[in-house]
Amino acid sequence: MSHRAQSGAAHRRIIVWSLLSLLALTLLLPLIPYAVAYVAPVAGGVPNPGSDLWRAVREGEAGTTQVQGVDSGILINASGETWRHFRMQQLIPLGALFMGSVLALIVLFFLVRGPLRIQGGPTGKKIQRFNVFERTTHWFTVSIFWLLALTGLILLYGRFVLIPVLGPAGFGLTASACKEAHNLFGPMFLVAILMLFVTFVKDNFYARGDMMWLLKGGGMIGGGHVSAGRFNAGEKIWFWIAVLGGLVLSVSGLILDFAVFGQGREVMAISHVLHGIAALIVITVSFGHIYLGTAGVEGTLGSMTNGYVDEAWAKSHHDRWYAEVKAAGSAEHETAPVDDGSPARDGVMDTRG
Amino acid sequence: MARMKFLCDAERCIECNACVTACKNENEVPWGVNRRRVVTINDGSPGERSMSVACMHCSDAPCEAVCPVDCFYFTDDGVVLHDKDICIGCGYCFYACPFGAPQFPKMEAFGSRGKMDKCTFCAGGPLPDNSPEEYAKYGSNRLAEGKLPLCAEMCATRALLAGDGDTVSEIFRERVTWRGASGFAWGWGVAYKKPGIRRGYEVEGKATGGD
Repeated sequence: MSHRAQSGAAHRRIIVWSLLSLLALTLLLPLIPYAVAYVAPVAGGVPNPGSDLWRAVREGEAGTTQVQGVDSGILINASGETWRHFRMQQLIPLGALFMGSVLALIVLFFLVRGPLRIQGGPTGKKIQRFNVFERTTHWFTVSIFWLLALTGLILLYGRFVLIPVLGPAGFGLTASACKEAHNLFGPMFLVAILMLFVTFVKDNFYARGDMMWLLKGGGMIGGGHVSAGRFNAGEKIWFWIAVLGGLVLSVSGLILDFAVFGQGREVMAISHVLHGIAALIVITVSFGHIYLGTAGVEGTLGSMTNGYVDEAWAKSHHDRWYAEVKAAGSAEHETAPVDDGSPARDGVMDTRG
Repeated sequence: MARMKFLCDAERCIECNACVTACKNENEVPWGVNRRRVVTINDGSPGERSMSVACMHCSDAPCEAVCPVDCFYFTDDGVVLHDKDICIGCGYCFYACPFGAPQFPKMEAFGSRGKMDKCTFCAGGPLPDNSPEEYAKYGSNRLAEGKLPLCAEMCATRALLAGDGDTVSEIFRERVTWRGASGFAWGWGVAYKKPGIRRGYEVEGKATGGD
């Protein structure tokens, strides 16, 4: 009796649990896809063909068109707004701020510290620093660079600075001339940069003492004399900024200049970004170079005009180079020029090798 | 005053290129320049759609913003025009334009760009209305004659609408309601979302393509 009652209770329990399990499975099984979708959602959910189509178009997907032309199959130029923002909100205001602050700092530095004098005054004995070929390369690069820099800056800032002065039609003519000059002489800059590289690269590699020169800020920080070879670390950095910046400017410039190879707007916009940044960096650093070569350091300008510097200048700024020249013991180097800048002396060949 | 806008209905455009041809003929545009073009997406596949596109005469026009010589101006109708006597052909407007509207005739030395040419909404340029000089440089000035752009007037399926923005969008809204299918004013977000430098266009105006 008790055994049968026991087995009856077990039977009922089994039935109840089976029904409950079935009910639970019936309710839960259909939820599995939802759970899966919750854990690993299908990309984009249920796709709407129309919205997918126009999203792709918005992102710059190309279609087909009967009209021949650069990017003519693209309905929306996805990079246009980014480029506009870069040019109008970043390049123009930040570039002006960058160039202006560096110029202001240089003027302030000159007013506070004045020019760096030759220690003990000039001796009157001159040695040749740059031969005629080196000076030609330098001034060739300078001419092309400033022609391009000025025309480029007019195209970048003229709308804000020159239209109020010249009027819209007058500035249109000026800008047109600037654009033509910039595009015509631009490719020559690559030639100038390659010449500059070949002419000066041998003395612009890192040498012992350059780090110390930099750490002492070229002699401005801490006491003591900073030693340098033919070019100090600052001049070497300027050389590499000019060469690498010049190459970026040349390559991006050629892409922008010759718009006949089917390059699209994105390539042109990226080239313009690189061109603008490189131009403003090289122009701004050149302010420092011009300052140090003219008003900043007494006796430097002669090295690029007639090619000669005073021995005292060489000893105080480029002691290791001075020692090398002395060791070479060439007579020409010790010849004091009678008058600066005579064409006859420009023909003297540099015998430093 | 109206605020002129273009609207192309992708559910209706059949890529017949009549708008392109009408534009070329009406404005005598230079060789190699197309002020309007029809682009087909998914050509030959299910879901193929075509779109006729030209200058959309944006409110906050990127071309006007980036122009280094400031040669663009807005008419009272919200049409974006430019002065070819000032344009230097630098191509910046082409980099900035969302719709690829600016065109450059390749007629100068070394393949350099000539002066920019683009859709004028058949509104000519800064020279005297309908003068031969204006026609030679900018094409037809139908707006001055009280007419709307020929591309939209010619459209056989009434896909391309041109005219006052409010009228155009009202026609389009009605269409979308009646056909019960999706449809949106392509390019309007890009062209007119921003308030731009000109505000407060009045509502009244006229439009072509009503049905």
